[in-house]
Amino acid sequence: MKFRLIIDPTGEEEIIARVQDRSALTDQIEALVLRHAGTDSIAAYTEDDTRMLPFADIECITVIDGKTYAIDTHNQRYRLKRRLYELEEELPGCFIRINKSALANEKRLERFTASFNGAVDAVFQCGYTEYVSRRCFARIRRRFEK
Amino acid sequence: MKKLTVSFLKRGLMAAAGGPLILAVIYACLAAAGKVTAMDPLKVCTEIITVTVMAFIAAGVGVVYSVEKLPMLHATLIHAAALYADYLLIYLFNEWIPRSARGIGVFTLIYVCGYAVIWLFVLFSIKMRIRRLNRCLKEEKA
Repeated sequence: MKFRLIIDPTGEEEIIARVQDRSALTDQIEALVLRHAGTDSIAAYTEDDTRMLPFADIECITVIDGKTYAIDTHNQRYRLKRRLYELEEELPGCFIRINKSALANEKRLERFTASFNGAVDAVFQCGYTEYVSRRCFARIRRRFEK
Repeated sequence: MKKLTVSFLKRGLMAAAGGPLILAVIYACLAAAGKVTAMDPLKVCTEIITVTVMAFIAAGVGVVYSVEKLPMLHATLIHAAALYADYLLIYLFNEWIPRSARGIGVFTLIYVCGYAVIWLFVLFSIKMRIRRLNRCLKEEKA
């Protein structure tokens, strides 16, 4: 693997990594860059409180009654004032779409379960459960089984 | 809704050609067994048309599985009910099963058992996939 550093005082700063596949190294680089840029957390609201919620503490982001919520590692729900598609673009690659209204942090996934009616659920480490759509399940299988 | 209708029609048209082919194979088998030696041309025409319609509906109704909002079990029940009605009506119309309570009862029993077996296979396949996926998930965390 080669390392190339291009110093351009006039250009916009960005880190580009050209790799054959995602790996632990690329995840570390991504986390490092986001941390450095101060964009590794998001403003999250409860009824009484506002806090900056680090991405690493988010297990799942889901839409309930038209509002976007983040579920953290303690199974606490925080309101996010962003739309799901906006978050999908900003969040690191470890956040994957599991249905039309939810993004899962794959590092916080505990397991998948199947019920008798054929429905597949994603179970997170905090105990929260979210259903996985059939379309997304096929994509998740390809992602993990390669 | 428009997308579903188009998908229904596409699936049905693709499968419709298979219906008469299967009918031809069945009659070839019956002829080889000496069960059928001569047939009324009108009956043959009717059967070809009804089998085409049956294949069209049977394939088209599979579009129900592409509706993401429907849970798998509900989609399966709708598919099973539509297929049952499709097959039963065509079989009765063509007199392939006796037009009696016993005939319909036997057909229903065979259909339900057959469908249940298929559903169990589908469920088993899903569980195997989940197991494999969970194993990959565990390996990635390790």
